[in-house]
Order: sequence, then C-alpha cells, then structure tokens
Amino acid sequence: MPERHSTFHQDLDRIRAEIVRLAAMVTELIPRSTEVLLTADLGAAQAVIEDDDHLDVLSLEIEEHCYQVLALQQPVASDLRSIITAMKLVGEIERSGDLMVNVAKAARRIYDAELDPKLRGLIERMGEEAARLFKLAIDAYAEGNAGLAAALDDLDDRLDEIHADFIQAIFEARHGDGLELQPAVQLALIGRYYERVGDHAVNIGNRVQYMVTGWLPEHAGAARLEARAKQAEHALHFGDESGAPQ
Amino acid sequence: MSPADSADGGPPARALYSDELEQLRLQVELMGVRVDENLERMRDVLVTGSSAAAEAALAADDEIDAMMVSLTERCYLMLAREAPVASDLRLVVSVVRITGEFERIGDLALRVAKMAPDHHLLTADARCHDVLVVMADDTLDRYRTALRAWATQDVELATSVTRPSCSLELSQEQLTERVLRLEGDGAVPIALRVTTAAKSLDRIADHTVVLGARMRYLLTGDPRHLAAEVR
Repeated sequence: MPERHSTFHQDLDRIRAEIVRLAAMVTELIPRSTEVLLTADLGAAQAVIEDDDHLDVLSLEIEEHCYQVLALQQPVASDLRSIITAMKLVGEIERSGDLMVNVAKAARRIYDAELDPKLRGLIERMGEEAARLFKLAIDAYAEGNAGLAAALDDLDDRLDEIHADFIQAIFEARHGDGLELQPAVQLALIGRYYERVGDHAVNIGNRVQYMVTGWLPEHAGAARLEARAKQAEHALHFGDESGAPQ
Repeated sequence: MSPADSADGGPPARALYSDELEQLRLQVELMGVRVDENLERMRDVLVTGSSAAAEAALAADDEIDAMMVSLTERCYLMLAREAPVASDLRLVVSVVRITGEFERIGDLALRVAKMAPDHHLLTADARCHDVLVVMADDTLDRYRTALRAWATQDVELATSVTRPSCSLELSQEQLTERVLRLEGDGAVPIALRVTTAAKSLDRIADHTVVLGARMRYLLTGDPRHLAAEVR
C-alpha cells in the first residue's frame, strides 16, 4: 500500500508539473499577443494562432492522465480533490490561451488602424495586469497557497477598472480622433478578451481554495439555503412570524 | 465478493450501483432544470426589469449552489467507494464537470438578473435592448438543446450545441457597433451596463458549448471532442 501511495504522489506531482507547464505557455502568450497587437506584426500573429495547437494537445494529455490516475489509483479525500482540481484547471487555462489567440486574430483584422497613445497605453496595461493575475493564480496552485488564491478576486478589480477606462477611451477616440467603427468594435472585443483572462485567473483561485481547504464559493449559497429551511421549519413548529431560531 | 453479489441477500450490488448512476444522471437533469428556470427569470428581468424576478433568481441560486455541492460530494463518494472505470468513470467525472458548468451558467444568469435596478440603462437605447433580448432568446434556446441532449443522451443534439452560433456572433457585433455609436453624457454608463449584460449572455453560450463537448466525450469516449471546448 505505501508503494501504491508513493506512485500516486509521483503521478500527482507529474500532473501538477504538466499544469504549471501549460499555464506557463499561456502566461507567455499574453505579452506575445499584446505585442502582436501593438506592432501589427502579422507573422507573429500567425505564430500565436499556430501555437494554440500545442496548448490543445497538452490539455488533452493532462486530462487523459487524470482519468488514468482516477481509474488506477482510486484516490480519496484531498488527493481526489487535487485530481479533480487539476481536471478543472486544464479547462480554465486552455480557454485563457484561446482568448489570447482571439487577440492575435483581432490584431490581424485591425493591423492598419492607427491607435492613439492613450489606447496603446491601456492595451499595454491590460496585458500586463492579465499576465500578472494569471501568474499569481498559477503560483497559488503550485504552492497550494489558499490565501493568495482568495486574494485574486480583489486583485481582478484593477483589471476591471482598466477595462472600463479602455471602453471610455474607445468612445473618446471615436468621437475625437475619428477612430473608424470597425477597429473600434474590434478593440472593444479585445478589451473583453483580456478581462476574461482575469476572470479565469479568479476561477483558478477558487479551484485552488477548494483543493487546499475543501471550500467552494457555492458552499455559502448552500449554507444560506439550509438556514432558510431551518427558519421556515422553526416558524412552522412555533408559529414565530420572524422565523428566527433562538 | 463480486459486484454482482450482495452479502445480505438484498438486491445485487451491481444493480444498486447502476441505480445510483441513474439517480445521479436524473439529479443532474433536475439541477439543469433549476438553472433553466433562472435563465427564464433573467430574461424576464431583461425585458421588464422585474425586481420580483430578480429576488426569486437570487433565492433559487442558493438552491442551485446546494445541488452542486451535494452532487459533487456524491460523485466523490462514488469515486472512492465504487472505483468506477471506463464509461462509468466518464459519467461520474462528467457529472462533476457538467454541474460546474451549470452552476456557472446560473451565476451568469444571476449577474444579469441583479441588473434589475439598472433596467432604465439597459433600455435607454431601444436597438441595444432589442439585440440583448434576441441574444437572451438564442442563449436560452441553446441551453435547452444542451439540457435535452443530457436528458436523452443524444450525441447529435450534444454536437449541435458545440457548433458556433452565427446568430449570437452577429448579435454581438451589431450590439458592439450600436454601443459605439452612442453619444452624449450618458453614453458610457449605458455602454458599460449593456456590454456587461451582453458579456454574461455570451459566456452562458460559451458554457453551453462546453456542456456539448463534455456530453460528446461522455457518450463517445473520444477525448478529441474536448478540443471543441470554447474557442
């Protein structure tokens, strides 16, 4: 049995390393896509789009590996949570990569548009913030750091604020500098892609919290439902209109 | 003891296990129906701004959360106790993944429902509002197709929801164009609310694609279907 346990932990370490590698590929894709957008480099855009295939292949390999471990090792408790977390993280990471591919595709659609310095600055800041959040999320996973994972939700507010400034700047550029409608539409979509990477980082944080502590955000909702049911039962038995249990 | 035997002379363990898997499938369907009801409330808020619908959605979301927690725990118990393999293992893991997607869809529906106090901003531009309602209808249609695919375990239906929705993409572009044409002092708050609602609808559609991909994998066992997840 100890030998089987040790094999399981080797498998788990391998899965963790594969996930960190997948996440590193996506973290690297964020500044690359931003650079593609700011330099209008069509060759680099194509390279980003093609690299997505590597992400897809590695994602499938990790998921298959998780299935093998589940079937062969029958993990329980926190080990089981670790495997399920790994399977869920793959989706979050892979989708973040897809969003950066979307940025590269959008860059191709607006490669000849002139972007004013304010818009360029905000794009740069969104890229930096998205990459920072994503890296922190993966650090939290690699270190099993539930505190850092929990902080990601608040940290994401900054990216949301930059995104709101970006939308405002698109309006100003439309009405002031005469930014054409089509590039403006693409820029608005690009802003959303960055913002969604931030959301995926927050999701990763939630999953890491679950892996470490067994806590899910949904536990709060489940607890509220239970409290309401108890109140209703109390009111039924004691005719207490306030329904508050003593 | 083989899984087919029972120590106490009751129903064979294999039969109990099969019943449990079937129960799991039905519980997932029930959770899907609860999410469907909240999507309907979301649409109601979008169209009428009903605060009653928003409050009902808020309460129902706690029920959805509780179902997700309970189903997740049940799956973990089954994984530990029964050590399922092959298609049974795919089912149990798929339930964990699919209930997660349902829960996210419920959260996104709630995000729109919570915008009831901002309904005047969502309707400030009639064209934007029309497109939002069309998007909500498309999203609901696709979600219901996914739910039907789960109920009937129909791979064709599951496949149909993994295909990109041209009408949603078109609505998204129309909406963004329209938003960027808004003028005046109120343009930015209107634009932010409208894009927030549209973003939630768009993400619900994305999660529906994941549901389809997960179901195809469950039904065929071919992992290549997972690559069809959100683009």
